[in-house]
Formats: sequence, structure tokens, C-alpha cells
Amino acid sequence: MHTGPLVILDPGHGGADPGARGPNGAVEKESVLLIARIVRVELERQGYRVLMTRYDDSNPSYDDRAATANAHRDAIFISIHVASTGTIGTVHTYYYRFSSALPTVTGVASIPPPAPPGGLGLWEEVQLPYTDASHRFADILELELAQRLPGSPATSSAAPVRELRSVALPAVAVEISSVLVSDPNTLLSMGPPLATSIVRSLQTFRAAGSAGGD
Amino acid sequence: MPRNLKIALGILSVAVLIGLMSLHGLHNRIERLSESQNTEEQARRELLTAPSSAPTDVKEKAEIFWAAGPDRTAPVEVELTLSAEPVRRARQVLHALIENTPSPAQRTLPPSASLLAFYILQDGTAIADFSDALALETPSGILSEELAIESITKTLESNVASLRRLKILIHGQEVDTLAGHVDLTGFFDLNPPGQQTEQPAPSSSQGANPTAPAKSPR
Repeated sequence: MHTGPLVILDPGHGGADPGARGPNGAVEKESVLLIARIVRVELERQGYRVLMTRYDDSNPSYDDRAATANAHRDAIFISIHVASTGTIGTVHTYYYRFSSALPTVTGVASIPPPAPPGGLGLWEEVQLPYTDASHRFADILELELAQRLPGSPATSSAAPVRELRSVALPAVAVEISSVLVSDPNTLLSMGPPLATSIVRSLQTFRAAGSAGGD
Repeated sequence: MPRNLKIALGILSVAVLIGLMSLHGLHNRIERLSESQNTEEQARRELLTAPSSAPTDVKEKAEIFWAAGPDRTAPVEVELTLSAEPVRRARQVLHALIENTPSPAQRTLPPSASLLAFYILQDGTAIADFSDALALETPSGILSEELAIESITKTLESNVASLRRLKILIHGQEVDTLAGHVDLTGFFDLNPPGQQTEQPAPSSSQGANPTAPAKSPR
């Protein structure tokens, strides 16, 4: 029985949406599901509770994935992807980047401020109050990944990754390069270092008391 | 042969003849329709992918952002004939971004992609409507989709200072993502305050175009 903190793993794509496809048979939806299972085993071994947004070749909608995450508090959401490009064997970590409010002629923001973490907000902007926490977690995770997977950048990047937008938790996406591998099984070897990096970064993140929003 | 049978055979023959003629006519109509659609699409693409130039356009240096690796773009200075009018200027630089790529490794947007329409709203919001090829042929992935978006936004930022944010449509429609990852339901910031550069002042807006020249929001 796992009683530790909750981690929600989100293997991207699935079902009719294969995601990226490589010339040697790598298919993103298959690789990310297998990698998520590897990460799950390691996290549970470390005492974490783990939920996945899909356990098979299904393709929950973006809203369904977010709803799975938003049913929980004090958790972390990690979406897993495999790229079409990039240096093979590296991983990029992303947090959601919102467009800034368009200033009006008087300089006042034209959209209302975001709801506080845990408060009611627009579904499309639920991630907004968690952006800083997501950014901090993404930076910690990317640093861990760079130590284990040389060539990975030292810091995370901001990008509007669709899965993260409506998640009311610290949320990041990791993207492994790439489907261009000569053997799709090579991608699975990225699972253990990814799992270790996630475990280490969760420890650092929680020790810093950053699990909630801002 | 009984008379009734002769009549039935006659009617059947006439029906078959009419059916064959209808089928032939239908086939011709389908072919004509298909040809006209192709011609229309081709004409539209030719019209839209080659932005018109005006006598007032001048040759100047423009910075176009092409790929400088799998995860970043870098500006390349090219000489283009550019308009001072923001809508036409934006179309000209985006056309150069797609069509004038120096090498395949520097390409960020699919070669078959084209800009179908470009508008600028009063508040500086630009709306760029790309053909389906942008979504269908951009390699799926956060890295590759971000590279495509970055090349578009940085090229616009660098050359059309009056823009404040960008909305990307695919064939006139809002879509969830570019190619499965990067969110296109929102806006992309352009020229954030404090990073704006001097650009030629906008001239009058284009004829009956339903856009207005962008103006500074402040």
C-alpha cells in the first residue's frame, strides 16, 4: 500500500492519435505508455502513490486528463512525450507559458487576475496560479535530468503544452528525443533515469515547501 | 416474341440508355467540379503565397528567424522589398520565412505551408491564418512545434513592431494544437513592453481589408 505523495503521470496521445512516428518503428503513444509504466514502478517502489491518465491504448481528451488531475490536491502532474526531433538521448522539460494580458490604452490588464490556487477560475486558465510552482519544479527536474542524460539543457523551457493548461496542480511536460532512434526499445532505456530524476526532484521540490501554488 | 415482352424489352433498353447518359453526365460534372476546385485552390495559393508589392515598397534588411539547431532559432539578415504598411509587411516577411529558407536544416515551417490571410486588429492583435499543411506537416513534438512558432513570432516581432500578440488559425479555424502538442487556442505575445524597436510608421490600411493598422496600445 502506497501512502506517500501523489504523482499523476500522463502518457501523451493514444488511441487514434499516435503522436510522433519514427522511420524505424518508434511510435510516441506506445513508447510513452511503456516509459510511464517504468516510472510508475520506480515511484511506487519509493513510496509514492501514482495515478495515470491512461493505462492502455486509449486517448482521453485534454479535459479528461486535466479532470483526472484536478480531482486531487497536493499532487504533481507530469506529462510524458517523445519528440520528432532533437539530440537522441536528451530530455527537455516544459512548464506552461500563458500569453500576458493585453494592456488596454490605460495600461490596465484587460482580463481579470487569476483565481488563487484552489480557488475557482476559468477552466482554460486553471494552471495560471500554479505557473511559478510548475516553473520551479520543471527547473529542478531538468537539472536532475541533465546530470543523468548528458546533452539535456540545464534549465526548463516555457511552452504552451496543451495538456498542462487546465491542470490545477504544479504541472510539467517532459519530452524525450526522439522517435528517430534506430531501435524503439532504446527509448525505454530512458525510463529508469527519468524515474530517478523525478524521484530526486520531487524530494527537492517538497523539501523546499513548493508543492502548492503561489 | 409476345408483344408484351417486346414492349418490356423496349422500355428496359430506353431506361438503360437514359441511365448510361445520366452516368456519363454525372461523371463529367464530377470531373469539372474537381478541376474547378483544384484551379480555385491553385489560384488562391498563387495569389496568397506571393504577397503583392506596391511602388512604395522599399528594399531593406529584414531579420528572418530560421532554425539554428533542433531547439532554437537565430536571425538571418536578408534583403527584402518590404512595405511600410503592417499587414502587407507581415505577409512579406512570413512569405520569406517559408519560401526563402537558406538550407533544409534551417527550415522551421513545411515548404507546402502557406499564409492564407493576415489581419491586424485595433489592439495590435495579429491573426495569421495558415493552410492545413502547417498543422499536417510540421513534425509532431513540443520541440519542433515550438521551433515553428518561435520562427513565426520572432520574425514578426523583429520586422513589424506594432504587433502585440498573435493568434494562429489553421484554414480559418481555431485548432487545439499545432501538431499534437503546442496550444493554439490562446495567443502568443509579440513585442513585449520594453523590447520594442523602431520600425517604419504604418501607412494607410489596405483597401477593403477588414483590418486596421495596428497602433500602440499605450
